[in-house]
Amino acid sequence: MFGATPLLIALIFVTMVLAVWVLVRPSVTIGAGGKILAFIALFVLPALCVTAGMSAHIQRSEQTRFCISCHAMQPFGRSLYVDNQNYLPAAHFQNHRVPADQACYACHADYTIYGPLKDKLAGLKRIYVQYLSTPPAHITIPGGYNNHQCLRCHAGARNFESNPIHQAIMSSLVSNQMSCITSGCHDTVHGIDTLSHVKFWSPTP
Amino acid sequence: MKLSEIGMRRLLRVSSALVVAGLCVEIISLLWFHPLAFVLFVFVAVSIIAAGVVVFLASLLFVITPSPGSGPRT
Repeated sequence: MFGATPLLIALIFVTMVLAVWVLVRPSVTIGAGGKILAFIALFVLPALCVTAGMSAHIQRSEQTRFCISCHAMQPFGRSLYVDNQNYLPAAHFQNHRVPADQACYACHADYTIYGPLKDKLAGLKRIYVQYLSTPPAHITIPGGYNNHQCLRCHAGARNFESNPIHQAIMSSLVSNQMSCITSGCHDTVHGIDTLSHVKFWSPTP
Repeated sequence: MKLSEIGMRRLLRVSSALVVAGLCVEIISLLWFHPLAFVLFVFVAVSIIAAGVVVFLASLLFVITPSPGSGPRT
């Protein structure tokens, strides 16, 4: 439990107390005050609880530990701790190039205007596949990894822009014609198949 | 007691029960740290709470609908 969740639970309890009052004594709604109370308890506060609940769930789904709470994602979570800086996600996670508590989200979120909605629908589809269908043996990103998710941070960065290789292929990278991770440059990503024989880094508590 | 009052009170009870049940499910979904918690919230909690709100709005119809015989007498 984190963030605003305790506050939200307190709001839910207040709403429940008022709703139970109307449930036990519906005659309170005879007067004008009772009608206002019923309107608040059965319309305004429930709507607020649903809106705040949705916001809390969406914020929670951005957490690294939320992503790896799914069984299929656990090897991907382990790959963040590989003691080898050639592993792209491990290098980003361990050196805090992405927020450690939002490591998955930082590199896999769709940053377009309807991105969070599309991500949520894609997540629901994956849950459907996991529980009601046959999960694939190898998890892949539909359509491949989009360079824009790298360029969101690296574009404009001095060490990225001044690299002569990047300068030579910049237009191909921006147009997504050449992939950052499958064109032989940064091709060691999660490396799930190699995790059984790599060394892992243990952060000091 | 008028028939409309009885109907309204019954609907208010149903509405309250649905809202309370939906909020209980929402609390469970918030305390359960699992991808299915989101599914529980969206498909169960929100549906039950929405049903409660709709029933409450339906109960308001009993207030604004004139009962038979309450019209102008000639």
